[in-house]
Amino acid sequence: MSLLDLKLLRDLRALKSQALAVALVMACGLAMMIMTRSLIASLENTRDTYYRENRFAEIFARLKRAPNSVAAQLAAIPGVAAVQTGIALQVTLDLPGVIEPATGLVQSLPEQGELVLNRLHLRSGRILLGRESMGEILAGEAFAEANNLHPGDRIAAVLYGRRQNFRVAGIVLSPEFVFEAPPGAALPNNKTYGVFWMPYKELATASNLDGAFNNISLRLAPGASEAEVIAAVDQVLRPYGGRGAYGRESHPSHTRVRDEIKILQGLSIGFPLVFLSVAAFMTNAVMSRQITLQREQIAILKAFGFSNWEIGGHYLKFSLVIVVGGTVLGTVGGVALGHRLVEMYHLFFRFPALEFHLATSVVVMAIIVSMVAAIIGVVGAVRAAVRLPPAEAMRPEPPSSYRPALVERLGLGRAFTATFRMALRNIERRPARSLLTMGALALATGILVVPNAFRDGIGHVLDYQWDMIQRQTVFVALIEPGPARALADFRALPGVVLAEPVRGAAVELRAGNHFRRLTITGLPARAELYRVIDASDRQLTLPAQGLVLSAKLAEVLGVKPGEAISVRVLEGKRPQFTVPIVALAEDFAGTAAYMEIGALNRLLGEGDRVSGAYMSVSAGEWVNFLEAVKASPRAVSVVVKNRIREGFRETTAQSIGLLQQIYLTFATVVAFGIVYNSARISLSERQRELATLRVIGFTRGEVGAVLVGELAVLTLLAMPCGLVIGAGFARLILASVNTEFVRLPLILTPANYAFAVLVVAVASLVSALLACRRLDQLDLVGVLKARD
Amino acid sequence: MATATPPSELSPSSVFHARALTKTYGDGDAVVRALAGVDLDCSAGEFVVVLGASGSGKSTLLNLLGGLDTPTSGTLFYRGWDLGRADEAGLTRYRRDAVGFVFQFYNLIPSLTARENVALITEIAADPMAPEEALQLVGLGARMDHFPAQLSGGEQQRVAIARAIAKRPAVLMCDEPTGALDVRTGMAVLEAIERINRDLGTLTLIITHNSVMAGMADRVLTLSDGHITGEKRNATRVAATSLAW
Repeated sequence: MSLLDLKLLRDLRALKSQALAVALVMACGLAMMIMTRSLIASLENTRDTYYRENRFAEIFARLKRAPNSVAAQLAAIPGVAAVQTGIALQVTLDLPGVIEPATGLVQSLPEQGELVLNRLHLRSGRILLGRESMGEILAGEAFAEANNLHPGDRIAAVLYGRRQNFRVAGIVLSPEFVFEAPPGAALPNNKTYGVFWMPYKELATASNLDGAFNNISLRLAPGASEAEVIAAVDQVLRPYGGRGAYGRESHPSHTRVRDEIKILQGLSIGFPLVFLSVAAFMTNAVMSRQITLQREQIAILKAFGFSNWEIGGHYLKFSLVIVVGGTVLGTVGGVALGHRLVEMYHLFFRFPALEFHLATSVVVMAIIVSMVAAIIGVVGAVRAAVRLPPAEAMRPEPPSSYRPALVERLGLGRAFTATFRMALRNIERRPARSLLTMGALALATGILVVPNAFRDGIGHVLDYQWDMIQRQTVFVALIEPGPARALADFRALPGVVLAEPVRGAAVELRAGNHFRRLTITGLPARAELYRVIDASDRQLTLPAQGLVLSAKLAEVLGVKPGEAISVRVLEGKRPQFTVPIVALAEDFAGTAAYMEIGALNRLLGEGDRVSGAYMSVSAGEWVNFLEAVKASPRAVSVVVKNRIREGFRETTAQSIGLLQQIYLTFATVVAFGIVYNSARISLSERQRELATLRVIGFTRGEVGAVLVGELAVLTLLAMPCGLVIGAGFARLILASVNTEFVRLPLILTPANYAFAVLVVAVASLVSALLACRRLDQLDLVGVLKARD
Repeated sequence: MATATPPSELSPSSVFHARALTKTYGDGDAVVRALAGVDLDCSAGEFVVVLGASGSGKSTLLNLLGGLDTPTSGTLFYRGWDLGRADEAGLTRYRRDAVGFVFQFYNLIPSLTARENVALITEIAADPMAPEEALQLVGLGARMDHFPAQLSGGEQQRVAIARAIAKRPAVLMCDEPTGALDVRTGMAVLEAIERINRDLGTLTLIITHNSVMAGMADRVLTLSDGHITGEKRNATRVAATSLAW
């Protein structure tokens, strides 16, 4: 080892806590980068492999009913490589030991052989083949786990009005349900919604679809045009009640995974860059101070004949040691966080094996990025040091000159104490350093705002959705739209206080080139239970004609109230009409179109019909009500509001909880690192001044206040900036998350701000106190007698 | 350290009363006796010059008398108060209220003007004079709003003296106050010290290896190897302006 390297090691030992502070901040940036980039790679690879191996389809469509022979017509469409037809049926589930029913989607397994597309992945138990396995069912993993279902367990389902008992033969995964949730849901609710598979014959018999199908999936031939195939499929399925085909980009499970990757991509660049910039600034501050302290040593080394390169290299090595430390810590942290996040993803996404794979190329990239950051941080200081001629470098630096701070020049200084003036003048003398320190502290404050803004946004949506809009106890859907007297039957159920009808109709809305397929919801003009609310939280009265659209839908369709929109109904008699848009509604999940139920029924031309009802049920009769509903042959799905709400709350708590921990750690590290490092540098630069104060009778606390006064001022200035930055971060991230399916409003509460401020204040205070402990080690006499 | 009780026969004018004052650094073979059993009494208003070569123990004596350090053994009283056994807070209190320091290298706060450097003390002292008054005393009334970087060495040292005396200390401790100055400016600094001693009656201790200053003193102590090896009283004090070196 060369003597310079020995010097390096000893210098490092002397600066170990500061080097650690820098390495930790750098590690945060790297951990975030490694974690997010590796997760993106893991998710993409896992998803692509899963899709390929289990033959995930590319085009999907639902229809009312088509004979099996139609499958051949679909297969004959140019560009179609494979067709999978089957039955998909919404059912109500009765779980042993649970009073409230759950909703399930049951799909059919082919009579012969395996599924051609969307093949299942067996987790446990066995797969069902052919027609021999009567009374058995396969359950999706997420639902099975949430409800503690295992192979061999029994479950009751109401299939097309007939209650049947099934034995769970196996637990499976499907590429169609990586995100196992009802279409349009932002978060999964695995306790109340599950997916199942059973042999075709049994399902067909139960649903009166023998010899027919109501659900298709297609795979495209290489080079085929998705849009053309979708148009051809719609053509073929039109006579059979086709509800409109769509591609993967509109597939609910696929889009949810895609959006998650999009969010990760955003996080993988912005945040790490900010952290690494802070680390680069800290490296620069530490190295500049070190080089100033070693001015004379540098001069002597140069006098002895060391070249500028050798000396520059020496100090560069110093910062590279920090980089290596930061990289090791960052990689370990990134891998650990990555594993935790993969666990969290298990709440949302079901893959055969989503494992965290450290993307080594990312680590290499991370090392390069942080090295560049460190080099940028150190190069200026080193260059200044080696440029000095030895003779000049051996002389001490001239005394620092100061001037009154701006506030004093403005005549506001009279009220300040001498120590406060010192803080102000120090801040002003090094504006760049002060700004960067403030920036880092603002960043620490800002990132803390983000996870809580998410939490509050979700909380607001849930409250809005379930206190403002939907005020029912339960929603019950019928197998298919029934006559208006079905409502009377609902009202006769035990405990029903209020029942309001709803009529849904699958439609395509078109305005110019824009179109969307969705369900128009028909409701009473001024319903009590499902209220259509406008942006100023007022309930809208649905007019006798015309549509109310959710604001987001109007935006994507490019229409405004007062304009007309063309509606093509995709079921029943498939009428087409043009209606005026009368108002816009505010909602946060999915996109919706509302119409007065009578007006909708008139347009549909099928008489006075209802698809289901929103009901308010008295608590005392709840169990009896549920028993009656489960036994009712017409009810196909029963959605209990409070169970869904609870499920959301749990999922939110778990996922936001983890994010909060991560951000909290990062913010604490940054606040702690920057304050500690700044205080240590300040202590080194001003030890003479501080020793003088101690000697002339300032107490340790008073001198400590002088040492950190400057940082306290910067922290106080940084925090409000941080809150603004945090609100900006939250706005940006929410904007990148917001889609047609989910929209989170930006909710910033005083509690959120207070939390961020508190964390940064505490972290700063603790690190300032730690740095102040160094004051005790100050050699008062030695410092004072030494020449500067 | 032995239990110390203040000697009852101390005269009211006694400021320091030290017996067998000893300070050692290190232990075992490496032990260094910086001060080896010094007996010393100083009274209010006295002007004492302590002479000694480097390593003689004079700085250690100043550290102990100034409350910057505590003795290893022996007794040290400041106006009947046991300075030798004071704790950290007690020493800070003592330095804050009773002692004014002047060092070789001024040690001004670079971010504060002359006036503010003095005000730093007057903000925390019990019965201070106005910063302006202190600066007038050292002849710097005209440069009060200059920063240290804008002052010459002699001026900086006079600010340091003003800072030291603004609290009306009982003791003014000067460690090589002219060490970094040329003769002319050095003389101006000594004049300022002399005036403080005369006008305010402050016990003044100057520690130096420059024997020329001995003429200014009431009493001259010579230290070597941690012992007081000489003590001389001047019948008349020479004015600072008449000194030459």
